Amino acid sequence: MSQSSVFLLMVGGQIESAEGLDEGLTQVTKKSRDDRQQFVWNFPLDITFKTTNPFGWPQLIVHAYGIDAFGTDVVRGYGVTHVPITPGRHKIRIPMFVPESSSQLQKLTAWILGRRPEYVDVRVLAQGEGREVTRVRSQGFLTVSFNVVMKDMKKLGYDVIPSEMSTSVIPESVGPNSGGTTET
Amino acid sequence: MNTKCLHNVNSSKMAEVHIVGQIVGASGFPDHSLFCKWGINTGGAWKALAGLREGQTQVDTPQQHDAAYWAHPIDIHYATKGLQGWPKIHFQVWHQDSFGRNELYGYGFCHVPTTPGMHEIECPTWRPSGSFKEQVSQYFLGGGPQLKNPDLIYSGADRYRLHTIAMGSVHVRLGVILRNFDKYGIEC
Repeated sequence: MSQSSVFLLMVGGQIESAEGLDEGLTQVTKKSRDDRQQFVWNFPLDITFKTTNPFGWPQLIVHAYGIDAFGTDVVRGYGVTHVPITPGRHKIRIPMFVPESSSQLQKLTAWILGRRPEYVDVRVLAQGEGREVTRVRSQGFLTVSFNVVMKDMKKLGYDVIPSEMSTSVIPESVGPNSGGTTET
Repeated sequence: MNTKCLHNVNSSKMAEVHIVGQIVGASGFPDHSLFCKWGINTGGAWKALAGLREGQTQVDTPQQHDAAYWAHPIDIHYATKGLQGWPKIHFQVWHQDSFGRNELYGYGFCHVPTTPGMHEIECPTWRPSGSFKEQVSQYFLGGGPQLKNPDLIYSGADRYRLHTIAMGSVHVRLGVILRNFDKYGIEC
């Protein structure tokens, strides 16, 4: 099974792209022949944004396509995630999902004709509205690695990392072993 | 988005909070064909400048049945004059079966983290449990008691009358950006 993927960096609000490609298409890759069954694209992303307001923080939207048994290109998954808001290295595992057909008959015709349900405009995934009427099936994950660098956030008064006071790392756990140890 | 950001808050130097993240999904429920209604509730001193404060995710019927994934984006901008009434995000997890019937699976809430940065939050949920007769009918027919007033999800008043049973948890990844809090002497 081979897949390629298209990605799109979607921004809203006051953010404008300064430099770099905000859309792209990866290569076509096949599943690995070992137990991991992974697809590897290793696709570079390099983009700069300028803004005066964090509202509309950029989101990465990915859609993956593959060839089905009849040889047509079908959608294999959509995924969306926000670019992390803290500087540093982040590795994020995005769940991927496909829209589902409304009925069993439509599912059968979609499978035969190779015209599966797709989003007309993928940007709707980056918004919170209008998703309540869609039914999807989540299948698979996509891993993205971000290295985020920021400039002048503090100068404009924004804090994205905790201040210099001693912060204790409290492990997030609920259950019989949670004791809430704090270390400074 | 048809809400425009108000930029005159820059001159008054109010404290601002940006919540940027997503509701990733849910796990630990009896069945994972789920959707979630969410909302963010704040006190009187907080004003939402931009972004949706509530919404409903898509319905997910996962291929791997151990968790449901929604990846529903949240992007909200608040301005505030006080710390009281810090934003709380609350959830109602609903189950949709193959016939399209909706059944309540759980209520839950958690406070938006007060430290800036990225946070992975696991919010546990609960469901009201009825009398023994209602539980038997719920086992066979589905349905079950629901809260008449959903404010009870995130408020503490009158909770003592409720009998509940624990359900699964909702996973949220939130990024919090704070502005001008240090000018007011707030350490976070």
